Amino acid sequence: MNKPTISQATAVDRRKFLKVTGGFLLALTLPVATNRALADTSIPANATGTAFIRIGADESITVLVGGGEMGQGIYTGLAMGAAEELMVTWEKVKVEPLPAIASWLSAGSGGIRSRLPTFLKAGAAAREMLVSAAAQTWGVPVASCQAVNGTVKNLVTNEVLTYGQLAPLAATLPVPAAPVLTPAANYRIIGTPAARPDLVGKVNGSAKYGLDAVVPGMALGIVKHAPVMGGTLKTTPSVPSGASAVVPLGATATNPVNNAIALVSWLPGANTWGLMETMKSISSNIWNTPANAALLDSNVFKSQAMSLLGRGAPFIAEQKGNVDTAFASAARVLEMTYTLPYLPHACMEVLNCTVRMTPATAPFTACEIWAPTQAPSSVLTTVSAVTGLPKTAITVYPMFMGGGLGRKFEQDYITQAITTAMAVGRPVKLVWPRSEDMTRDQYRPMAVTRIRVALDAAGNITGWQNRHVSPSISAQRRTTPLTAHDANATEGATALPYNLPNRLIDYVQHMSPIPVGYWRSVGYSINCFAVESAIDEVALATGADPLTLRRQLLSTSTDPLAARTLAVVNAAAAAAGWETTAVPAGRARGIAVGQAFGTIVAEVAEIGVTYTGGVPTNFTVYKVACAVDCGTAVNPNSVEAQMQGGIFHGLSAAKWGELKWTAGKSSVTNFNKYRMTRLSEAPVITTTIVNSGAAMSGCGEPGVPPIAPAVANAYAKLTGVRVRDLPFFPGATMGG
Amino acid sequence: MISLNVNGQSYQVDVPSDTPLLWVLRDILHLTGTKYGCGIAVCWACTVLINGQADKSCDVTVGSAAGKTIITVEGLADFRLPSEPIGTKGMGQKLQEAWIAEQAPQCGYCQSGMLMQAAGLFLEQRHPSGGDINGAMKNVCVCGTYQRVKAAINRASTAV
Repeated sequence: MNKPTISQATAVDRRKFLKVTGGFLLALTLPVATNRALADTSIPANATGTAFIRIGADESITVLVGGGEMGQGIYTGLAMGAAEELMVTWEKVKVEPLPAIASWLSAGSGGIRSRLPTFLKAGAAAREMLVSAAAQTWGVPVASCQAVNGTVKNLVTNEVLTYGQLAPLAATLPVPAAPVLTPAANYRIIGTPAARPDLVGKVNGSAKYGLDAVVPGMALGIVKHAPVMGGTLKTTPSVPSGASAVVPLGATATNPVNNAIALVSWLPGANTWGLMETMKSISSNIWNTPANAALLDSNVFKSQAMSLLGRGAPFIAEQKGNVDTAFASAARVLEMTYTLPYLPHACMEVLNCTVRMTPATAPFTACEIWAPTQAPSSVLTTVSAVTGLPKTAITVYPMFMGGGLGRKFEQDYITQAITTAMAVGRPVKLVWPRSEDMTRDQYRPMAVTRIRVALDAAGNITGWQNRHVSPSISAQRRTTPLTAHDANATEGATALPYNLPNRLIDYVQHMSPIPVGYWRSVGYSINCFAVESAIDEVALATGADPLTLRRQLLSTSTDPLAARTLAVVNAAAAAAGWETTAVPAGRARGIAVGQAFGTIVAEVAEIGVTYTGGVPTNFTVYKVACAVDCGTAVNPNSVEAQMQGGIFHGLSAAKWGELKWTAGKSSVTNFNKYRMTRLSEAPVITTTIVNSGAAMSGCGEPGVPPIAPAVANAYAKLTGVRVRDLPFFPGATMGG
Repeated sequence: MISLNVNGQSYQVDVPSDTPLLWVLRDILHLTGTKYGCGIAVCWACTVLINGQADKSCDVTVGSAAGKTIITVEGLADFRLPSEPIGTKGMGQKLQEAWIAEQAPQCGYCQSGMLMQAAGLFLEQRHPSGGDINGAMKNVCVCGTYQRVKAAINRASTAV
């Protein structure tokens, strides 16, 4: 178990040292900006980030990091900052997860960018305190001492004391308010490809994901929800042979209706497959079907959304200039409608949570949770609400996530596991079989977007109108209706860096009974497809080269991100050989660019198409040239990995990703109906990092959005067919 | 009772013989390095070596695996090719080192299966071509580690 190694102390006071045996622990808190308002009210808008550094008497240097590790490298970037200022090598630093009470959300690509300044300052503060301790010990001025690789050197006598030796005295000294930071030009670690410390356990099977939790005496359970979305539990079934308990799930204080059951076993030889087999013996008569089931249908949803394009009361998201005048005087108007489907997260690791209540039956005094979560602090809030225990009585053990992708920020699976453990009076590992994971997701919203472009006689864009219709994630999570546009829905449609002086972007909420959630890059992946496809359609319609048009729209723009965007576009085009290397016969290139979470990414895809009976049935992406400006790349190794990951995620979704509804049931229940890109289909991806020196920005998500329009633009060029409805190839299947 | 030989150790398990090997490894023996992805023999996250053949442990009954030599990711470090004598570095360790050198895993969840698939590939083909790698590595990785996985296999192929 990856047990947190510092105590569940709540008294982590601002700017205070906590003494630990033979060493010291520095806890430093600074205000940090949050990049988006999330539904969890326990995280205030001005949330603070805290850096913890522990110097051990054994010379160990440990950096404690919060959030959750799902492959994004959270255990690397922040600790690199602390190591940088501590003047130690990267190899010297150990990283441990913070306990949930001091942890934070992993969301919004904000893990590193929002907290690195705190970790740099904490490292510098600790270094100055160690240097001061040495100066006191030797009775010399601080200026005569220098921190060198885990030691402090007396520049006059060449004497040396180690950090471990200095730690006890350093712990008694005041924390400097404004430690001197290393100039970025002198960085030894930041900007270098540091090895991730979590990979050793990931190649020998010892890394523990949530699903790997083993607690002595635990029972196993699996979840089954009502087969129809919105269905409820009519009768709790009797316990079938092969199981020990059935627990109804889903009721809340405000809605006492259950919508799922847990089937639990503590019989000898209990195993997850055995429970899945036993679940089949439970009659489907236990479920109520909602009255509106027939309307829970993708065709109905689409016709609703299409009709909302032309009516309803839109919320204005962005308005500049005068669109009405622009369209009234246009020589030509282009109008394009793009549609995108609901998408599941499809994390490789299904949802799961392990719970141990102490004592096993009420009244409880403590609760321990082993869960894959992007939000350890939210889990703490959830557990406290369900159990009534104070947060100090709750321990959330950080487990690796087998993918998070925005799904493991949610709390539904946590609540179910606690309810089950409290009901059966023993520790429980509660698992969602893959079918539940796919059919009870909180999906990327479907979307319909209509873009209208006014052109003058010379083919210049004089007006830009974008109406976006989609379910609102934020509205679905509260009880009051929207009073303004949902920024998560329109991100990527607004604040375009192009020279579009007359623009109107508005949003119409599509009320949908399908639960929607945060899918890697949220609104950006939806809107970038529409916007960057439309820009390409303008280029084709006006006979312009798509790269040239983008350059022109950026170089004439006064938008603050235009110059950086242009540099990124140029870097991707150069890496792809857009203007220098002929496209091989039978292939075409497409380009797209997008900004997400402050990071600008451009991608050039080079594709070829496979025809069956004269009809395009697949395409191969041979190469992707990706360029990224995230301000400063802390760990280029991770930036490159995240760009690759984002491209694969977006590419699979664009080609095949679709989840349809018929009478309230999902068309996708497992990977066989949710095709994903495999190694044999993998393009060669080159990543060019443009270190613009701008404010640092996140990398976990921005690689996703540009790939769908990049391949759509290449596809249109190659086949003459403009794909405006994703996915390219609906109904795809995947075999073993 | 069913007798299993996993990573050189003998185990006796008392489960129905049609139970998939995957769940015996994970839920009974607590060898949790082998991962559950789909349970329907599509994603290869649960790949192990059975008598030297990479196979999906969700699709192999424990009864049919009885008495066979099973190697999971927990035993990979000790895995060696017949051509690698005791006392030299084996392919299992070469694969692990290559995976780290290329910083291949992201979330890491599918990587146990990837590594065991690669071990099976090397048993068939000491120096696999690009085509061999494409053909063998069917494992689904949502993180998109494919480029580094390919590089890691090529690195392991020439490692000494």
